[in-house]
Amino acid sequence: MLLLRTTQRSVLRPQVIQIYSFLKSTSSTTPRFSIPILSRTIVTSPHLRISSIPAETPTPISPPSEAPPTVQSDPAPTAHNSLSLLTALNAQPSKYIMVKIQGFTFLVTTGDKVVLPFLLKDVRVGDTLRLTHATTLGSRDYTMKGNPYIDERLFECRATIIEETAEPLRKKEKKKRRTRRTKTVKSKHRYSVLIIKELVINDVPPALATAAGSSTPR
Amino acid sequence: MSWFKITLIRSGIGMTERQNNVLKALGLRHRMKTVYHPVSPDTAGMIMKVKELLTVSEVDKPLTQAEIHAKRQPPKGYYVEKQGVVREDIEGS
Repeated sequence: MLLLRTTQRSVLRPQVIQIYSFLKSTSSTTPRFSIPILSRTIVTSPHLRISSIPAETPTPISPPSEAPPTVQSDPAPTAHNSLSLLTALNAQPSKYIMVKIQGFTFLVTTGDKVVLPFLLKDVRVGDTLRLTHATTLGSRDYTMKGNPYIDERLFECRATIIEETAEPLRKKEKKKRRTRRTKTVKSKHRYSVLIIKELVINDVPPALATAAGSSTPR
Repeated sequence: MSWFKITLIRSGIGMTERQNNVLKALGLRHRMKTVYHPVSPDTAGMIMKVKELLTVSEVDKPLTQAEIHAKRQPPKGYYVEKQGVVREDIEGS
């Protein structure tokens, strides 16, 4: 679980580079991450606009005119010895995190309202939750992937339950052919709504830094 | 004492009455169900009758149904850090 890898943009796989090229070309529109994960009614906050990011932010990336490298096999991501790229990730103005709540993945940032597809039974409205299981931590130029999760000591993600709501009542009529009997099934599923209050990346603890330094890259 | 860990991989639908009775005796009600039986000639004979439908391994310790279920659950992913304030003027709080 301590084996963590930070990948720079230049060594990412081609299909991921494609996504970043898309982001770079449409600088005037709100970015929509086209990552195929299950996410429900996420309302992204306006501070994610690319135009608000200052131009003097150092971006160690290849120019978009360069053709994506044709690779026969997947290039191995660099296992950075001292996790120093994490400070570079932290220095960027906006960050996102992919958290897993009861097995469901959500890509969120601070200020996002997340409507969970279920009701959390052991919490009340107003409670502050600390989200512990993160698969990815990223910013515009850096992505940190967990194996399978990122160490809990490296980040703090807090969310507040703001609502316990329900969908509108829906009725399903079930009827067999050549019969008059109709069965009606009612559904009114209940959902919990969270708001992500903060996403903080901590300094790397010394024990973790030495462990990452001694581990060999795959 | 060692135990057989038996998992039903192929369904009993379409199988003979005898095979389905063996599955019933083993406690395998549906696909992907896992049961633990002590290693004995009786259990071995039952497994041999329906061996094409099962995955069997030998383990030291059997798990209870509750333990099997708990292993399947994904991690909660959160813990309550601070409880919200209880307001008396709101119903249901």
